[in-house]
Amino acid sequence: MNMENIIETRNLTKIYKRYVKKEGIGGSIASLFKREYIEKEAVGGMDLQIGKGEFVGLIGKNGAGKTTLIKMLTGIIAPTSGEISVLGYYPNDMKNAFKKRYAVVMGQKSQLFFELTVNDILRLFKEIYEISEKDFQRNKAYFTELFGVRELMDVQVRTLSLGERMKMELIVALLHDPEVLFLDEPTIGLDVVASGQIRKFLKEINEEKRTTILLTSHYMEDIRTLCERCVVINQGKKIFDGKTEELFGEEEPAAVMERLCGGPESMESGPEAESGKSESEGVRTDENA
Amino acid sequence: MKMRKYTEVAKVYFKSQFAWRADVVFNMIFTISKILFAYLLWRMPFMGKETVAGFTFHGMLSYYIVSSFLSQLEMSAGISGEICQRIRNGTFSKYMIVPVSIEGYFVAMEIGVVLFYLAFDLIAAALWVFVFRIEFTFVTEAPLLFCALCLILLGLFFMVQFSYYLGILTLKYQGIDTFLMIKNNLMALVTGTIVPLTLFPETVVRMMRLLPFYYVTYLPSMLLIGKCREEAVRGIVVMAGWCLVMQIVIWLTYAKYSRKYDGVGI
Repeated sequence: MNMENIIETRNLTKIYKRYVKKEGIGGSIASLFKREYIEKEAVGGMDLQIGKGEFVGLIGKNGAGKTTLIKMLTGIIAPTSGEISVLGYYPNDMKNAFKKRYAVVMGQKSQLFFELTVNDILRLFKEIYEISEKDFQRNKAYFTELFGVRELMDVQVRTLSLGERMKMELIVALLHDPEVLFLDEPTIGLDVVASGQIRKFLKEINEEKRTTILLTSHYMEDIRTLCERCVVINQGKKIFDGKTEELFGEEEPAAVMERLCGGPESMESGPEAESGKSESEGVRTDENA
Repeated sequence: MKMRKYTEVAKVYFKSQFAWRADVVFNMIFTISKILFAYLLWRMPFMGKETVAGFTFHGMLSYYIVSSFLSQLEMSAGISGEICQRIRNGTFSKYMIVPVSIEGYFVAMEIGVVLFYLAFDLIAAALWVFVFRIEFTFVTEAPLLFCALCLILLGLFFMVQFSYYLGILTLKYQGIDTFLMIKNNLMALVTGTIVPLTLFPETVVRMMRLLPFYYVTYLPSMLLIGKCREEAVRGIVVMAGWCLVMQIVIWLTYAKYSRKYDGVGI
């Protein structure tokens, strides 16, 4: 594997085994005695190289394999076959030294403790990641200033709005200066203002701290604004890897995705589009709401 | 430095208990009501009798107060539920991606919760000793007290280990309700929180002595009221042995099944 790349996969494959059951009570009873399974290749033969400081968009329809790929890169799940290296580690070994060097934010799953205040949570993560007091205070001041959330630091997390909570998720994730940041739908459900702020914030982090970022999003605005390079996945296979402007050109995102992936698409231009355009204008063309 | 992360986890869970005031009040009421029922229940068999199975009425109530207090502190059942639910809905990764030992995290969590309830349960127990004017029997010899405290700590640790183990079985079995039901029924009987084990036939008690649950609530309670002194050291050795065995089982189980986790739902 090339050590200049922070992330490198070769022929990476993940196959899930799914339990299937025939409809009705009869099927349920029969399943007690004999279980049937089918195999689903979520990611197949994936070759991917990402260098330090890159901001890469990972796009594809629902079920394309984006999240499975991120789960393998973060070590949450083990690949079925192939090679994988992130920061020189085999992710699924789940070594603490590796975990201290990346962060993952999932738009629909929270890493926060809802009963606690943000300050309490930051203090917890300071200890978990063994951050020195000096670095902790510096990063906390930097991120609270960047996001303008100073007045929310002593508020219980469960009382925060979705946009505020996502900002806190990002602050918690970035507190230990990770070298790689994995983002899975960070702007999902956010309004125009909040998603715009998140994008601005991510751009600054990537430029200022040279954090390598891998972003999945259904909002094409996220990808277009932030990612110089993007990777398109369809049915677990990489079908495009190159410059974002080359991918989209002047075309509508939905049209591009339909051309590449075929069939009804699940891409949205973003909350901006939702507020400003109708579905008939080709912005929202799918089933993924 | 390494220990500080776990201290902070314990502090976080200690602090988070303050968010739910009703839980604190109900926990106290529950402790109080258990002792009240015990008082009413045990008055009957002691009518016209000085002792039952070697216990005086006040000795029996002392046992009940101590064992209720200890069983209230044993709050590890939530660990299995938390792990099971998170594995099934795919959010167990919350614990996997942070640089901590997941088991260490749950042990620290339990310490935080237990320390919080310790104070309130102590108040509830002391209140009842005072209200019912119970001639509270409590051991005064330092070595016995030390043995009882060691057993309590080992017992609570074992229960966290056991709950954690049942939780991670979800990686293999998806559902662990049957295991939890068996554990709860066995615990209620073997820990002696319903009836002191001295009321069981000797053969049954001998069998129970082989299980770790005997040493979780029952033996420490007996030691604290000055009984079963001869079992103190043996209890510590047996319980430490069980903790060691359970730890090995946990390591092997997690190593074998963690790769089955598919994080569905994220």
